[in-house]
Amino acid sequence: MKSPFFALFFLLFSLISTAQKSDFSVLGIADSLKANADAVVRLDKMDIVITSQRSMNIKVQRVVTVFNGTGLSDIDAYQGYDKSTSVKSIEAIVYDAFGNEIKKVKRKDFKDQSAVSGSTLFSDNRVIFLEYTPVSYPFTVVYNSEIESSNTAFLPQWYFLGGYAVSIEKSVLNVTFPNNLGFKKKEFHFSGYTINKTLDTDTQVSYVATNILAQKSEDLSPSHRDLFPRIMMGLENFHLEGVDGTAKTWETFGKWYNEKILTGTTDLSEETKTKIKTLVGDEKDPIKKAKIIYDFVQKKSRYVNIAIGIGGWKPMLATDVDRLGYGDCKALSNYTKALLQAVDVPSYNTILYGDRYKSDIQSDFVSMQGNHMILAIPNGDNYTFLECTSQDDPFGYQGTFTDDRDVLVVKPDGGVIVRTKIYEDKGNSQLDKGVYAIDENGNFSGSISIISEGSQYSSKQRLESFQPTEKESYYKKYWDNINNLKLGKIAFSNDKENIRFTEDIQVSAISYASLSANKMIFAIDAFNQNTGNIKRIRNRKNPFQVQRGYLDTDEIEINLPTGFTIEFLPSNYELKGKFGEYKTEIIKKENNKLLYKRSMFVNKGKYSNKEYDEYRLFMEQIARNDNAKIILTKN
Amino acid sequence: MKLIKLFCLSVLSLFFSRVAAQEFKLGKVSIAELEQKVHPKDSSAAAAILYKKGSSRIEYNQNDGFVTVTDVETRIKIYKKEGYDWATHEVWYYNNPNLSEKVSFNDAVTYNLVNGKIEKTKIKSEGMFDEVLNKFRGQKKITMPNVKEGSVIEFKYTIRSLARMIREWDFQTSIPVNYSEFTTYIPEYYTFNSQQKGYVFPKVTVEKNSKSIVLNSKERVSSGGFGGGVTKTEFSTDKIDYMETKTTYIAENFPAIKDEAFVNNIENYTSSVQYELSMVKFPNETIKSYSTDWNSVAKTIYDYDTFGPELNKTGYFEEDLKTVLAGKNTTDEKILAILNHVKSNIKWNKYTGYDCDLGVKKAYKEKTGNIGDINLMLTAMLRYAGLTANPVLVSTRANGIALFPNRTAFNYVITHVETPEGSVLLDASDKYSVPNVLPFRTLNWYGRLIRKDGTSEEVDLMPKKSSNDMVFMNYSIDAEGKVTGKTRRQCTDYNALITRDNMDGVVQEEYLEKLENENNKIEVSEYERKNEKDILLPMIETYTFSGNNLCEMIGGKIYVNPMLFLTNRENPFKQEVREYPVDFGFPFTDKYNITIKIPEGFMVETLPTPAVITMEDNIGTFKFNIVANGGTLQLVVSHQINEPIVSTEKYEMLKEYYKGMVAKETEKIVLKRI
Repeated sequence: MKSPFFALFFLLFSLISTAQKSDFSVLGIADSLKANADAVVRLDKMDIVITSQRSMNIKVQRVVTVFNGTGLSDIDAYQGYDKSTSVKSIEAIVYDAFGNEIKKVKRKDFKDQSAVSGSTLFSDNRVIFLEYTPVSYPFTVVYNSEIESSNTAFLPQWYFLGGYAVSIEKSVLNVTFPNNLGFKKKEFHFSGYTINKTLDTDTQVSYVATNILAQKSEDLSPSHRDLFPRIMMGLENFHLEGVDGTAKTWETFGKWYNEKILTGTTDLSEETKTKIKTLVGDEKDPIKKAKIIYDFVQKKSRYVNIAIGIGGWKPMLATDVDRLGYGDCKALSNYTKALLQAVDVPSYNTILYGDRYKSDIQSDFVSMQGNHMILAIPNGDNYTFLECTSQDDPFGYQGTFTDDRDVLVVKPDGGVIVRTKIYEDKGNSQLDKGVYAIDENGNFSGSISIISEGSQYSSKQRLESFQPTEKESYYKKYWDNINNLKLGKIAFSNDKENIRFTEDIQVSAISYASLSANKMIFAIDAFNQNTGNIKRIRNRKNPFQVQRGYLDTDEIEINLPTGFTIEFLPSNYELKGKFGEYKTEIIKKENNKLLYKRSMFVNKGKYSNKEYDEYRLFMEQIARNDNAKIILTKN
Repeated sequence: MKLIKLFCLSVLSLFFSRVAAQEFKLGKVSIAELEQKVHPKDSSAAAAILYKKGSSRIEYNQNDGFVTVTDVETRIKIYKKEGYDWATHEVWYYNNPNLSEKVSFNDAVTYNLVNGKIEKTKIKSEGMFDEVLNKFRGQKKITMPNVKEGSVIEFKYTIRSLARMIREWDFQTSIPVNYSEFTTYIPEYYTFNSQQKGYVFPKVTVEKNSKSIVLNSKERVSSGGFGGGVTKTEFSTDKIDYMETKTTYIAENFPAIKDEAFVNNIENYTSSVQYELSMVKFPNETIKSYSTDWNSVAKTIYDYDTFGPELNKTGYFEEDLKTVLAGKNTTDEKILAILNHVKSNIKWNKYTGYDCDLGVKKAYKEKTGNIGDINLMLTAMLRYAGLTANPVLVSTRANGIALFPNRTAFNYVITHVETPEGSVLLDASDKYSVPNVLPFRTLNWYGRLIRKDGTSEEVDLMPKKSSNDMVFMNYSIDAEGKVTGKTRRQCTDYNALITRDNMDGVVQEEYLEKLENENNKIEVSEYERKNEKDILLPMIETYTFSGNNLCEMIGGKIYVNPMLFLTNRENPFKQEVREYPVDFGFPFTDKYNITIKIPEGFMVETLPTPAVITMEDNIGTFKFNIVANGGTLQLVVSHQINEPIVSTEKYEMLKEYYKGMVAKETEKIVLKRI
């Protein structure tokens, strides 16, 4: 009787110990997973159990082996919480390279702090996270957490691959849900990966992915959203901060958002209404009225983000914004909407992803999405969009933060997906007109006027608010090809009506031209040199894109020093290809004058990884020609 | 160079004349203030502090004894949108079982001029926030309502602290300060050290006033002996008289402080006053003294449980150290063996602090600790090995220079060892740090060495030895302007530390890509490293390279910068005026030995001429020499900066030096066909 017991005990014991060792020792990790990886995620498992419209439980287990300091960020041992999401348990165990336990971290040893960041003034969101100092590499962290939430509006988005330079041994997603809540999912970018859907019923869905190799981050790549395999999930019947919601179609979702979230937030005092009506006066045209109101809001308000409770989703009351003069994107959009209402101009809250990188609201997946809000005003068949958080943007200008993407316009009778304004490549222009002179010592003096429009306007507009020292360092960087640059008078004019920014600048520099023996040599294109700084990337894997095209046109008059003759003049040059067009021309004029003409057009586009080197060479070719030198000989 | 000259260190100069403080009252905002469009002295200012008036008063309170009450009133003008950040204010406070403080904001009002009339908007609770920062601290925040360009805002706050602590008062900030007044009220029982720093100083007045405390007490008194008498409660009132010192600082029209490149830490130059308790003396009690000078600061720190006693613990490492020291005979061997032992066994958890956080024993066991844990352990082990080792208190760059003797001036500790060859500084928190090559964060003026008996002395932390970056390069140019060659780069001391840090945790392919892209997109092959892990030896990298765009072909001639991608093309000193000293961190020598083979069928048309640029006071020298020998050119360049810190008076000279260097290095060799 004894021996079987012992045998069994021994068997169990050895099973456990070998299981631990083999699980968490780094020896078993395949070389292919280690290549280019700062960390290997041995297991990334999430179990989501939705028990009702108002209750969801999520368990996370992550086993991550970290090889170096950069890999520490792949541990991801943190959990956010707030009033409606509580952390039931959280713990981590650290194992050394051989799978021996070296540290156990309990909940009380996790750091717990406010999740306020950057532009947020105050938030009641908090975060619990692991702070661990590695004693040696590699090591493995086993992290477990469990949360419970009454918010089911945002089901987590599942990424099988979380970032660059990390590989995945196994990634598992299990979701359980009642069949009456309208659970839905959408798969993205699965091709090329080993991902199996192991279960797909009306109450359950499971996925398992194995052996995803580490990827390198490469310039000009699409965002990871558009590259990596992921699953979006959502419920048609969800719950958000005490409010039940529905998202069957954009129409019903829009209606719900209007009725439950926005209703009652746009009231204004009679006093304010009267003030606004007086301000607008006899103006009849809705767009012109909107312009007056937008200007009023810009002068009155500032951006302050306070995320408390449902305030994270529901705009502050318009009356509050009116009194306080601040708010976040929702508050300020909604306030502008309320003012427009007072003068009978309709406008709609618009939800989108605000980012320089163009990101769409997934139009075929009805759910809470986006990170930003702007305001849409019907304008004929189109909309004029207002960025209400900006105190500087011209009326209807969408710059590079909200342009050219799918957004959700929330109308009272339902939501619709609309594309925002597309700035045409050739309209993103910079026009340089200038003159410079080189004296007999090689010193440079000149002046230039730079006019920027389209999306180029947005990068120049900010110059207006620069401090003198910031202006100085901006131009010294902008013209880093001119050594010893000294700035003279700088004047700006910002034509918001036509969305056109003009810089008028005087510059000088000693020894711009280099003198050796009786020769003088200098680059003829002083004012707008393309540095062609496109990185060389070994074995590029990702496709790449140029998100916004542009057109630069320069016309510069050059006064050569007296007493010199031209020994060499760069020849005219032209380059045309799928990426764009480039052309330079030098015209000799009388009185030692030259006229330099240059135009560079780059079109937007999406290209394959194979075309990258071609693009790099195209830009380098331009850079080289921009740096073409003229040689003068002393008479 | 004596660094102390850089700071107008003033020992409190006292004006005993009465300077009348300007009359400011919250709520009395004038139309003129609201109408002002730009700051009269600084038109670029986005906002300005019109006045800021504060007092810290140590006062008696029957429940808590002496407490500190700080009141601050502020009026701020917002000129531009960029100044909107000034509409938000925050004040942190201690909030833990050892020390709890209370902060309250009051009378926060925004003033605007509307149709020639003053409009007031008061803050309400929705604009006030209380945030838990961590286990020890909280923070109160306010954001003002109805702020526009032109607004004037006002608010006041009070901090009540049970401790006798006076917070640092800044007379300067990133916007102009028209008027800033700070007053302290300190009873005779307490002595504080007060210290001012900066480039501009406020006026100071001191006066003494007599004050009194009224104590109400009740006592049960028995009359008659042996407990048989009547017991009754007696109420008594005691009045205690004492002197109080009132010190007032008044700053008028102080300019905005602006950061610059190559500045150690801008805080070092901001006008401010700091207070630290140095002595407590109550009648009929013994004097309790704290830090009054550097020696007593050191002594006080040494006596902390988390400092001195930690140095005396040895039991936890003795066994291991015997193995580590086996066969190590010389001082150098012992130092290195122990340093390596600590480095490889205890990892820094990124927390600074001169004293122990976990305690040496626990840190040793858990293999992780803060700076105090690590370097005090290192010191103890060196002492155990029979060496004369002592801790050195340091203030990191981020913490600012330790200008005044107080315990909070320091935030870091390193180890000093005396050897027959001289003294050696050690820091076991950085894996690439070697004796006398400390992490960059510690290179900050002077440290304070503390001996076993508690006596102390100053230790210069700034490196004296030049860190080298030596490049040997051979390359040949072909008739099409293509360049192929070999490079050998050897770095010592700080340059080696920086190079190793750059390599740390970076996959080689990524490192090479960076090398290629940062160097005119050369193509690198046969890349090798030597001594990457042998950190006592110079770091050596060798590689073969080729590049298509290193030469320019103009009119059939070849133009080439002889230093190719190693050319310094830009003067890092672009500013016209320099407010603060330039801080390089350490002296260095960059040296290049370059051999160039010109293509067959070509000859030299022009060569750059040799040049030497020297700076006064032996601050630096640049040498450039090139000679042609048939088809081969030999180039030797050196750029040597001998002083880690260059004062503002020498900025123009430094800028000219770099200008000359860049001009020389960018001069081209011209090759023409024979």
